[in-house]
Amino acid sequence: MKALEVKDLYKNYSRWRGKTTKAVDGVSFSVEEGEIVGFLGPNGAGKTTTIKCICGLIEPNSGDINIFGIDAVSDTRKAVENTSAVLEGNRNIYWRLTTRENLEFFAGLHGRSKKETKSEMDKLLERFDLKEKEDTSARKLSRGMQQKLALACALIRGTDLLLLDEPTLGLDVKTSKELRRFVMQLAVDKGKTILLSSHDMNVVEDVCERVIIINDGKVLADDKVRNLKRLFDVHLYDFILRGKPSLDEIEEYHEVIDVRYENNKTRLKVSLKDSGSFYRLIDHLRDSGMELEKVENLDTHLEEIFMNIVEEELGG
Amino acid sequence: MKEHIIFYSVVKKHFIELRRYFLNTLMTISGVFILFLLVFMGLRSFEAGTETLKGSIIGFAMWTFAVGAYSEMSWGLLQEARDGTLEQLYLTPSSFRRISGYRVFASFLFQFVLFIVFLIIMMVTTGQYLYLDPGIIVLVGLTLLSVYGIGYVMGGLSLVFKKVQAANQILMFMFILFLVLPTITDHKIIYFVPISWGNVLLNKMMVDGLSLFDLTLVEHAILILNSFAYLVLGLIVFRFMENIAKKRGLLGHY
Repeated sequence: MKALEVKDLYKNYSRWRGKTTKAVDGVSFSVEEGEIVGFLGPNGAGKTTTIKCICGLIEPNSGDINIFGIDAVSDTRKAVENTSAVLEGNRNIYWRLTTRENLEFFAGLHGRSKKETKSEMDKLLERFDLKEKEDTSARKLSRGMQQKLALACALIRGTDLLLLDEPTLGLDVKTSKELRRFVMQLAVDKGKTILLSSHDMNVVEDVCERVIIINDGKVLADDKVRNLKRLFDVHLYDFILRGKPSLDEIEEYHEVIDVRYENNKTRLKVSLKDSGSFYRLIDHLRDSGMELEKVENLDTHLEEIFMNIVEEELGG
Repeated sequence: MKEHIIFYSVVKKHFIELRRYFLNTLMTISGVFILFLLVFMGLRSFEAGTETLKGSIIGFAMWTFAVGAYSEMSWGLLQEARDGTLEQLYLTPSSFRRISGYRVFASFLFQFVLFIVFLIIMMVTTGQYLYLDPGIIVLVGLTLLSVYGIGYVMGGLSLVFKKVQAANQILMFMFILFLVLPTITDHKIIYFVPISWGNVLLNKMMVDGLSLFDLTLVEHAILILNSFAYLVLGLIVFRFMENIAKKRGLLGHY
């Protein structure tokens, strides 16, 4: 069963003198039950607007949104029964309430009593390392803890669909990794359906099986991460050369990602589309009299795929 | 859906927050009380009659109540938007209007206790004693509905325009005018502006010692119509502004 289905979603904002800004321009996608899908796009791509349309906080101009078969545009309240969201990181919680009071309040806001959620609450506190801080005001928690609490508050609502808008924004590496691990476990252990938007490619790549890439309000790609990697079969190589090559000629035929000179050695990171490009570069280096010390094939990351897709779109 | 659990959670949260800000609340009340004493001493120095002095106690207590009730609606919403929790309140199987209704109820309970305590302190301090008939709960509640209506209007406006603090301050002074109006004029305008007529009836009960049943049907009807008209108007404006905020994507902005 489809947990979420978005079809031909449009959202324009009227500006002065009749001008309009297209925030979401015909977005369509669906998410199966128990799936974790990444929602990737640069600033202003339309991710947050789409997520807010899904949970009824923004009214779309047109389009259909179905949450577990319920029309979320016409019957928002019913659809929201099975939806929770973490919007904009550590906001979403009451800073004057303690950790436990926040959990109790948000459980209650979804009609779940303290008695009903007691053991679940304890597990969440343990899981997020918040047990020791359960009686501490949320404003006294670190940013990472506040974000963990915001996620816990969304979870305690007991909904099957979870919308996470930039959940790791502003977190240190350790906390971000913890949170990613936890999000993955949610889908595996609890069968939750998660739509996760993030700027951070590492987060999406780590957590999501499928990714929807959005830019200028349009979906540019919607596929499994591994398929996208195959589709954009870009190979990254790290060359270590003795001496200093002439970059102009290399850049004419190959995409140079990074160049560093150190101790009379050059570290050249290039993106090559196929094996032909690889041999051409080797020939070129040999003809230029460069001595090759080491070559390393690097893994393709979602970041490169993302850049390729967005650049292709911009290039028309 | 368990609406009673949602209701309980909203009311409980309101009281927890009040407890956290107890000192702040106490200092605000003390400030208002000092202001009242100054006004009261001023009136006495002008040799105002007992009725005027007693009226000033009721008026002052009502003003404090009205400002508290109004702030809960308009300032409370702004605070939620600023903290980023307003959008979370929309993510409930109940409705945001119901949630704010529960908040109004919680705020009314607290403000009413404060109103009575404040009245008692003022009576003891000034030596001007008033009748405290249980029926005043109904009267104060009905009178305050109009204030909540205005609170909904301003709350709705703040969802879209955000910066409405200046209008809030003007309204606080307007409430003084509405409360004082019946002592200045007998004009029918007092039937139409908020809290004026309620204050007239409260004076009848608390100064003249009438009970709720001693008031005429017409007097009750005017109060009920006035209060519900403002409340309905407030809810309509709020809904209208809420729709605009949703269309423009402004709910979470501050």
